[in-house]
Amino acid sequence: MSVAAVRSFVLTATGRDRPGIVAAVTRVLLDHGVNLEDAEMAILRGHFAIVLVLSVPDELGEAQLREELEAVGRDLPLEAVTLSAVERLAVESPEPTHAISVYGADRPGIVHGVAEALARHEVNVVDLSTRVVGDDPIYLMLLEVTLPPSLDTAALDELLERVGRELGVDVSARALDRDVL
Amino acid sequence: MTSSEVAAREVLRYPHPSLKQRCEPIAPGAELDRVARDLLDTMRAFPGCVGLAAPQVDELVRVIVVDVSEHKKATTSHGLLVLANPVVVETSGDELGREGCLSIPDLTANVRRATSIRVEALTPAGENVAIEAEGFEARALLHELDHLDGILFLDRVASRADLFARKRYA
Repeated sequence: MSVAAVRSFVLTATGRDRPGIVAAVTRVLLDHGVNLEDAEMAILRGHFAIVLVLSVPDELGEAQLREELEAVGRDLPLEAVTLSAVERLAVESPEPTHAISVYGADRPGIVHGVAEALARHEVNVVDLSTRVVGDDPIYLMLLEVTLPPSLDTAALDELLERVGRELGVDVSARALDRDVL
Repeated sequence: MTSSEVAAREVLRYPHPSLKQRCEPIAPGAELDRVARDLLDTMRAFPGCVGLAAPQVDELVRVIVVDVSEHKKATTSHGLLVLANPVVVETSGDELGREGCLSIPDLTANVRRATSIRVEALTPAGENVAIEAEGFEARALLHELDHLDGILFLDRVASRADLFARKRYA
């Protein structure tokens, strides 16, 4: 008995945004029988960014796949393409328990300051995005996080209030209600 | 001086600190009349604006104005509402809806709000009123009420998928 083995890879790519990037990259994947698992793609300040996890049939040569992706990168062109072999994980993402908004006048260190405080308390960041908007720029960061059992909403509020004061930004959190059907 | 003379005030933009303050209750009288008139004149100066709260014009008192009567999304409308010390006493339902804010002109977001609310407040004349509002009017009231506690719609965005950049209308 044999089971067709698959390997996992992480593919990242960025390119100046224009129509056709997703189509060109996924064409290569489809041609090689590569399966797209979880994917996130977004425009970040004019650059289209792709991060995806692939499952690749074992018989497919990694070198060949990489070469063809790089050829697509040259043709489009893309700014960067990477393909990395990773451990195959079956685990589901942790369910976020809280949403956090952080905003303030733009200054260095906002993301780091908040992330470090969260990490110190074992809070897991499951989603994070930031935007800088306006002529008089406002920095906005939205996070979804999972609290460890040792931390409740009140403790999170207290922690964030302290971080906000230190960084000179406004921070608020709310529990994410799960719709129950 | 004529009664048609208007005095639109400057609308503060985040990160002005007055937008993050908890505002004080206010009693009927000359100050309330002045703040109410300034809010009304300022709201009227921005076509499409359906509400304004006192801290947006740097008055840290609990006064809001809302008027959704010209808005196509409104399902209930009490016309012009000028409310002092408003309190939400009942809410039900919830839905996502798009919100913007003169104090944060570069973003809009989908925000979850109650669909049906009852608000008790004082009119500038000193009468107690109870307003039952639904849908867009309820949303406008809740958005303005939040301002009185220093809460902006950015504090109620649940995820990045609900956030949108926009061209300024202000």
